[in-house]
Amino acid sequence: MERLIILLPLIPLLSALANHLWSHKLGRQVARVSVNSSILTFGIAVLLLVLMLKYDLSGQVSLGGNWGILLLDPLSILMVVLISGISMIVRIYSVRYMMEEEGYGRFFVLLDLMAATLFFMVTSGDLITLLISWHLVGVLLYFLLGHDTSSPSAFRYAFWTLLTYRIGDIAMIAAAGLLYDAYGTWSLSEIFKQLAAAPDAHQYFGVALPELVGIFIAIAAFARSAQFLLHTWLPYTMGGPTPVSALMHAGIVNAGGFLINRFSPVFIHTGDVLHWLFIVGLITAVLGSVLMLTQNDIKKALGYSTMGQMGFMIMECGVGAFSLAIFHLIAHGLFKGTLFLSAGSVINEARKSDGVPKEDLYTFVVEKRLVKQRQPWLLMAAITLIVPIVILVLAHWLVAQDIFQKQGAIVLLFFGWVTGAQLIFVTYRMRTQNLWRLMGLIVFSFAVIVLGYSVISHAFDLFLYPDPAFRSQIYAAADIDLFWFDVLVALVTVTIVAGWMARYYAEKNQNKASKKLNSLWLSCYTMISREFYLNDIYAWFNRFIINMATRLNVLLRWR
Amino acid sequence: MADLTLIIAGLFLPLFPLSMVFNTLFSRITNNKQRNILLLLWPQIGLLLIYFADTEIPDWLAIWGLLTALLYGFRLLAIREMKLWISFLATSTWAILWVTLHYSGDNSPIYIYALSFSVPLILLLLLSDELEQRFGAAYTGIYGGLALTQPRLSGVLVMVVLAVAATPLFPAFFTMLATVMQATASSLIVAISTGIVWLLWSWAGALLLQGTIVGPANETNIADLNTSSTRKYVAALISLIIIGLVLIGGLP
Repeated sequence: MERLIILLPLIPLLSALANHLWSHKLGRQVARVSVNSSILTFGIAVLLLVLMLKYDLSGQVSLGGNWGILLLDPLSILMVVLISGISMIVRIYSVRYMMEEEGYGRFFVLLDLMAATLFFMVTSGDLITLLISWHLVGVLLYFLLGHDTSSPSAFRYAFWTLLTYRIGDIAMIAAAGLLYDAYGTWSLSEIFKQLAAAPDAHQYFGVALPELVGIFIAIAAFARSAQFLLHTWLPYTMGGPTPVSALMHAGIVNAGGFLINRFSPVFIHTGDVLHWLFIVGLITAVLGSVLMLTQNDIKKALGYSTMGQMGFMIMECGVGAFSLAIFHLIAHGLFKGTLFLSAGSVINEARKSDGVPKEDLYTFVVEKRLVKQRQPWLLMAAITLIVPIVILVLAHWLVAQDIFQKQGAIVLLFFGWVTGAQLIFVTYRMRTQNLWRLMGLIVFSFAVIVLGYSVISHAFDLFLYPDPAFRSQIYAAADIDLFWFDVLVALVTVTIVAGWMARYYAEKNQNKASKKLNSLWLSCYTMISREFYLNDIYAWFNRFIINMATRLNVLLRWR
Repeated sequence: MADLTLIIAGLFLPLFPLSMVFNTLFSRITNNKQRNILLLLWPQIGLLLIYFADTEIPDWLAIWGLLTALLYGFRLLAIREMKLWISFLATSTWAILWVTLHYSGDNSPIYIYALSFSVPLILLLLLSDELEQRFGAAYTGIYGGLALTQPRLSGVLVMVVLAVAATPLFPAFFTMLATVMQATASSLIVAISTGIVWLLWSWAGALLLQGTIVGPANETNIADLNTSSTRKYVAALISLIIIGLVLIGGLP
């Protein structure tokens, strides 16, 4: 039964071939071939998931030779269901959306090839298959983003994507080279087996092998998942067709989270790498979200939103919540795909009417008209701080009693607490007839989200990593010294609470304090709205490189 | 004596400044058949010389080869004339073979590795002739928009550029993969620098495509590549993939 997995990449490959060879005869029917193949692959993926849940089909299928191994395990099955689902929706959406575009057939051929490559990537059971598919995703994405060949700007930004992906490719090859040299095999399962038996057996350049491989894998993941400094391609690739944006933001960009999970047997033997993942992810999450808030272009805002979400996903890996990152990438893929596919309709509607109802929510959020405090501030502050933490603790205690012994879980709980407290803190001054009813509804919604998130992520944990010892190892690898952990948590808590207090006093003193900070705020806003000038710097660097190459050629007389 | 032979081999697996000999020769030859033969045989002569020298490639030669590959990969970014582009890319790709030889030793199919670079370059040379016949010159950034007016020629050009830039599943990809992977265990700097050379080829390849196939349609009355020629190119590319997969796809 596990041989069914071969069909997943094979079907879109055959569809691509048929569409390419008979595109003249098929005309616009190429879309039908492509859509049908995507429905078929989605059906097979779901069937495999059901079989995996029922009978544990874990295993691998070789296409012959010492590479071309397809891995059937919970991670690959989850990913193929996600990819087949999203690529099916994207293809169905494209049937009419791309109807009047040049290169209609080519577009579906590329979509089919991309689906097949992604299937190979997530199911690859050996280093060569992984490297080939990892590399090809970047190349195919380049041509999909530059589908409109008459648009040089679309190609320019597609080129940025290609270049960033190639940086990640180099890191991947270096990681593969080290693993092959150490273990003498391409097979991932064989490598992980040998690594588990003797994690400290190999050292390169004075560094333990897992640490070095972890660094390279992390760099590859950063490039693919648009982490800070390698992110500029993401918000600027909106020149490509909307279905491609949807596929990219909902599927391809998530590959970083997948890669880290695939190499989890390496990461459990690392320490510092996971901490760096946390730091880079945190910076990306914060900056991505801040940049999103300053955009007035809906697609660009969605681009930066993806960057923020990817940061959070990498951060989750950094605290050892690997399976949570997979849940996150699936959830993000589904909602971001929906947002992209509906962005066109939203823009179209907004041209006719902004559609914003002039009601309490609008006056509160947009016009910032706050009502005067009607309840004692201390009571509301207590509710703000206590209610979210109680909900979070109870929800997590329900799914796993030992969760509080894991630092990663505490960090995520902390984030949940800050988010929940912030939500309540800003909404209790909203204009409403019944404040307690509003608060009750907010708390109830928050509880449902937290409970759902906790239960589902715990289920993912059990499905992806059924071995409890392995799960503990992941969290343990992400741990830091307890004293410093406590210091950090206390420091961040004090900073956040101080921020709230400052905000409170600023409002109480009729914004006198905040007026003093206006010029600083304006400078910050300028920096953010210009996206920290990173794009300008990269563009300047690109021109500098080309100019240098030209000068060198002149100097050497073009020989 | 062995060192002298290796230095002479540096003319054929070009090492800067000896590489200028090849580039001058390539630009002086006007006959395309001779150019094709040059692309095919030049590195093979170098490899034969190394074989007769019967000595290990010293560190300094591998580094010299790597620096040459970096230099020509970098200079490639500013080249717009296609024949010069081919000549510089050939120099960069063959120079990297010094790194391959140093780190993989006698076990690697080095002659096939050299062919994996040469054959796609020959295809590109043939395509540059096609462009010259149609537009009078094979330059990037002059006409553009070929994807709309010459779909077959553009399609073949894209695939050939992917082949010369060592994209999977073309044989040059496996050559580069083997080179970077084998260098990684011994010297991370060499491995990463080789990766950067590879990145420069991709960069230059993307610029070449952007300067030819991208843009609004111009010159709509010029004939596209005929079906028979297209089939020949496609057959050559498929053969390249199959040969690459069979001969070097398994890697050492």
